[in-house]
Amino acid sequence: MAEPTIHNLEIDGGPDPSVQQFIDNTLAALVNELSRSPAEANISITLKRRASPIACIVNPTTGALEASPRIDTYRKYSWPGKTAYEAWKFTVILRILAILDQVIRTGQLISKRDIYYIDPEFFRMQYIVDGIVDDLAYTIGVNRTALNVEAAAKGLVTGDFRLIRGSHILIDAHPCPQAVFHRLARISYHTRALAGEGIMVTVSCVSDLAYAGKGYPDFMTRTFLRAMSDSASKQSRRPPRFYALTDGDPHGMAIMSTYKYGSAANLHQNARLSIPRLQWLGLRVSDIIAVPEVLGDTALLSLTMRDRKKIMAMLRNSPVWASDGPEPEWRAELQRMLVLNLKAEIEILYGCQGGLEGWINRRMFRQE
Amino acid sequence: MNKKKSGDKGGTGLRAPTSLFLRKQSLDTALRELGIIRMSKQYLSRGSADNAHIFDIFSLAITDKQILSVSGASSIKVHSTTDADFPLVQSIDGAHTIGCHHIAINGNGSRAITAGFDGEIKAWSCEDGHWTADRKLTGADAWAIAISEDGQYLAGVTQEGRINVWDLSADGTRIRDHETRGNFGTCIDLSPDGRLIASGHEDGAVYIFSTETGRMPISLLGLVNPVRAVAFSPRSKILAAAGDSKVIVLYDTSSGEQIANLSGHSAWILSLSWSDTGEYLLSSSFDGKVKVWSMETKACVATHSETDKAVWSAKWLPKVGRTEGFATAGANRSIAFYREATG
Repeated sequence: MAEPTIHNLEIDGGPDPSVQQFIDNTLAALVNELSRSPAEANISITLKRRASPIACIVNPTTGALEASPRIDTYRKYSWPGKTAYEAWKFTVILRILAILDQVIRTGQLISKRDIYYIDPEFFRMQYIVDGIVDDLAYTIGVNRTALNVEAAAKGLVTGDFRLIRGSHILIDAHPCPQAVFHRLARISYHTRALAGEGIMVTVSCVSDLAYAGKGYPDFMTRTFLRAMSDSASKQSRRPPRFYALTDGDPHGMAIMSTYKYGSAANLHQNARLSIPRLQWLGLRVSDIIAVPEVLGDTALLSLTMRDRKKIMAMLRNSPVWASDGPEPEWRAELQRMLVLNLKAEIEILYGCQGGLEGWINRRMFRQE
Repeated sequence: MNKKKSGDKGGTGLRAPTSLFLRKQSLDTALRELGIIRMSKQYLSRGSADNAHIFDIFSLAITDKQILSVSGASSIKVHSTTDADFPLVQSIDGAHTIGCHHIAINGNGSRAITAGFDGEIKAWSCEDGHWTADRKLTGADAWAIAISEDGQYLAGVTQEGRINVWDLSADGTRIRDHETRGNFGTCIDLSPDGRLIASGHEDGAVYIFSTETGRMPISLLGLVNPVRAVAFSPRSKILAAAGDSKVIVLYDTSSGEQIANLSGHSAWILSLSWSDTGEYLLSSSFDGKVKVWSMETKACVATHSETDKAVWSAKWLPKVGRTEGFATAGANRSIAFYREATG
């Protein structure tokens, strides 16, 4: 048996002093302003605004979805402000800053969900917390992890690797002797069982690592895969390969796009998180129609009205699907789905020869 | 050694003793010349407009001198069919930003209607072979579309299976709104005599409406699987319907009876087109096969498979002299032209 290679994956440099500095400065400035007479006090917090997803491009250098070049804009939240909404928003920011200050000082980790559930009535909606945490990270110029804000676990990974953050080893995965495809099929099966939703499987077959995730990837998932990509290309002569296997429906395609190019919500992070090497393994609707005797064309599902609207919005709004964009075959697939009014789910593959494992094996061999 | 006298070319004939083979050949020729039987026909490739579009070509429309094509790209391409090398004569760029799935042209080739993936329906008009934007049918909802022979009426079937008719001469107002029990409307056709509208649906249903009364004069026994193409014969006597069942069903439009089932395709059938005289029906399928069916014998007389990719659209071309020809296009993004072999 070949000597197993341990891959050291460094996800980032660990705590960033600029975060504590920002919090200290902001709070000190507020205390200072509060001590002045109300007439001349300027009690406010200014945040840098993240780029709007409407005007974005696929950067040819990084291969990521990014904001088109523009000047940064800022939004100032004052207290008591002009409206009750502004006053509330100001207090929400202040409250979140206080929570982050505490977790950073005590070295704890927190999720956006945890923050929301500290006081759901006050925060009103989860997305309010999400937006402010992302805005704060963007304003300070750090990743969300530097704020000690982590996401809940939602993927499975197998292979020989060590996950390192700063000087700490977070995860030390033991080598296991199973074949990568087998493990891949197993973990995707488990993910499916856990999630019951569209899955995304990525495998870098050279480095013998396999990963399966549920739904749209979050920040940590993308950080992990990017680390896998970066460190594996540093350590081996052959660049690692990444394959995406998603449901053949608009969400599956959008999930794959998020892995490869990034998300429209966090354009500023995409250059650091995208996986330009990601290849499309499937599932294509035409794969099923072309060999119905193998897979059964009754296994295909009709698109819902929401699916159709989602495809139209994808084609209309994102440069990834543009006619002069980087993925003409993705665009063609979305259009064929609309014309045929069909989608395909990965479950179909469980019934084909050799099951999901056999299908992945054959398909990857064909793409070699 | 009793061999069938109809069917595709290249059967078992070669295994027969030479003398018999020759005798059969001459017999067939004699019978064909006498007009007693019609055997397989031969269509030769007459060239192609290669990579006419950068995405799948979903629909073709024909005039006397031109072929218009629409695709997943934003432009409508106009190729001349009078020149031997089918040159591109016009490209209407930016017609539908996220692509276009249907195009229909009236009888004299003066008006075209396109339906885009963005949900927009646009009208185009032609003068001296040059196409210009006419108008946008604001608020018009349709997936598949068909235009009347005289160009006055536009019929469309929606994603919910409703059938709408607009009068294009009167500001494009909607004059009819038919409810069907069917779901997603995949295809629609207007009869050449203007009296009937037929629609095909994802649940296999086929409906016929009278344009005059707005009612269904007859009910048809639909197909089991999704219907993807419906087409009226030139004299409006027959309706052909086909789709995922891989069979073409011919209906008598006065009685609703099924006249024939044409089987032979081994993949989903995506489009149907009648020749000018109604003697031949053209069909294309998902596996790249194109077939010509004789209405006299109700049998397939020619099969073409230039590509293994889906042929989304196949259309007969105007007759040149006595020879007929057709054009095909689809996922291989080129338009291929065929002419009947003569002599």
